[in-house]
Amino acid sequence: MSLIFRLASRNLFQDRLRFIATIIGIVFSIVLVSVQLGLFLGFQKMVTTMIDHTPADLWVVSRGTKCFEDPSLLDKHDQAKALSVPGVSEVVPLIIGFSEWSVPHDGTTPVFVVGTTPKGLQPWHVVQGSFSAVSDPHGVAIDRSYFGRLGVSALGDTTTIRNHTVAVKAITQGIRSFTTTPYVFAPLDSAQTYIGTAHNEISYLLVHLAHGADAAQVRNALLHKLDKVEVLTPLEFRDRSRSFWLFGTGAGFALFGGALLGAIVGTVIIAQTLYSSTKDHLTEFATLRAIGSSSLYIHKVIITQALLSAVIGFGAAAVIDFIVVWLTFSSALPIVMTPVLTLGLFVLTVVMCVVSAVSAIVQVTRIDPARVFKS
Amino acid sequence: MREPVIEAIDVVRRYGRGAAEVQALRGVNLKIRAGELTLLMGPSGSGKTTLLSILGCMLSPSSGTVRLRGETTTNASQSELARLRRQHVGFIFQSYHLFPTLSALDNVRLALDVRGQTGQAAVTRALDVLAAVGLAHKKDAFPHEMSGGEQQRVAIARAIAGTPSIILADEPTGALDTENGYAVMKVLARIARDPGHGVLVVTHDPRVRSFANRILYIEDGRIVGEERGTGLAAAE
Repeated sequence: MSLIFRLASRNLFQDRLRFIATIIGIVFSIVLVSVQLGLFLGFQKMVTTMIDHTPADLWVVSRGTKCFEDPSLLDKHDQAKALSVPGVSEVVPLIIGFSEWSVPHDGTTPVFVVGTTPKGLQPWHVVQGSFSAVSDPHGVAIDRSYFGRLGVSALGDTTTIRNHTVAVKAITQGIRSFTTTPYVFAPLDSAQTYIGTAHNEISYLLVHLAHGADAAQVRNALLHKLDKVEVLTPLEFRDRSRSFWLFGTGAGFALFGGALLGAIVGTVIIAQTLYSSTKDHLTEFATLRAIGSSSLYIHKVIITQALLSAVIGFGAAAVIDFIVVWLTFSSALPIVMTPVLTLGLFVLTVVMCVVSAVSAIVQVTRIDPARVFKS
Repeated sequence: MREPVIEAIDVVRRYGRGAAEVQALRGVNLKIRAGELTLLMGPSGSGKTTLLSILGCMLSPSSGTVRLRGETTTNASQSELARLRRQHVGFIFQSYHLFPTLSALDNVRLALDVRGQTGQAAVTRALDVLAAVGLAHKKDAFPHEMSGGEQQRVAIARAIAGTPSIILADEPTGALDTENGYAVMKVLARIARDPGHGVLVVTHDPRVRSFANRILYIEDGRIVGEERGTGLAAAE
């Protein structure tokens, strides 16, 4: 074992209480940063979950649409116009909107209705019933996690949406909304009724390209043919939705702000403990200088202390992070931890600790080696 | 006569400015030669520690010149002074200043590590110098497990490990009883007989006079006297 490492580790572990305080500081900071960034990633994933599960090569959306949940509407006649564009093999309508679900014996609750056709956006992770049953005009698919909220408990339960009777024909697991408003999948025509839109109004057109068709050419042709619309690739629509929810609403800034605050608090805590540890060992550092060690040698001791704190603190924080990820896995807004985020957090911990070491290094740099004669 | 390992020429050191100025050294001239144990004696406040700091390249003189193995310390930067300390100086302190979290062996190895000497060769050298001060059996002991005399001998081993040109000892027996003080001085006197080192011991302990080859007296920042010692105790 290198002597620098031995000296650094023993300096660090000599005062156990201070060492524990340092580690708690790092863990607190890293868990805070990772929860904020994990929420950011989870939020990023959740806001595009409908787009991610929708089969489409191009989306025709009303001009200025900001996100999937945007209430802007298209004229359903655009479906036929779009279908006439060369390179388009199929155009599937999709309607979305809010409605009121009657909770049996308990008033109403808002729901987000997704009106679809068998070739459109299908509910996924169906655990009971089947989607084909939803083609029953009164059939709906809901997620199991909202049973309590919707006042139903099993396949076949009935209630009303805007006074229209519906029956639960399919149950999904894990289709949760970040807005906490339950998704209700229904046949297109019925959904239009539940939402209260006219039957010639739809939210989106999902365009499927013919084999070998050029997406850019089809997009231009669609823009030429249709009025007041935008044509987006799924990637563009995803980015636009994310951008709106994360930054248009300020939610992303809040999450990043929290992460930044966590990093600053962590850096200050580590800097304070490293500074105080260095202060306690000033005579030893002065002795090192007196016996001729270079500044670099002393800096290595302090930075090794900082890196050791980083590795131990990060290890403890990672365990807590994975518990948090596991606990929120099936929540409305799961905290997502990816390998890249984990690596990034480790790098952040190391950077925080090394930056924190600067105050200690400055202190040591100013030591008068002659103080060894005075103490 | 041997060349001096260190030489001070008209060394002056002032602290403070204006009315608050204190002149700690007022033109010190001295030479320390290898193979000799020199004592520097004087009352408190006479400038002993300041002179030791300047000779040990920890402080620069306000004026005058210090030559260490022919290299002048005048206008040397902090990193240059650190290099000179590393290459030429071994320190022994009254309070030992061992690292409490390191074993005796590692405390000695540290002096080699800062000189870039690592690996098995450094371990072997550290064991050799511990054996030279009679502490090979204490290599794994931590400072708090050793007596004051043993700690001071580890400090001596650390000082000589890097084969410095000069060993500067600040009151090395100051914190020791007679028996341990005697043992430490014997080790220092033995080291001083090596023609590769010079040893300068700052002290006001009259018990150690018998170990000296030469005694310098300092008062009010000046060398005011010099006498030859017998070095007889070292020969016992």
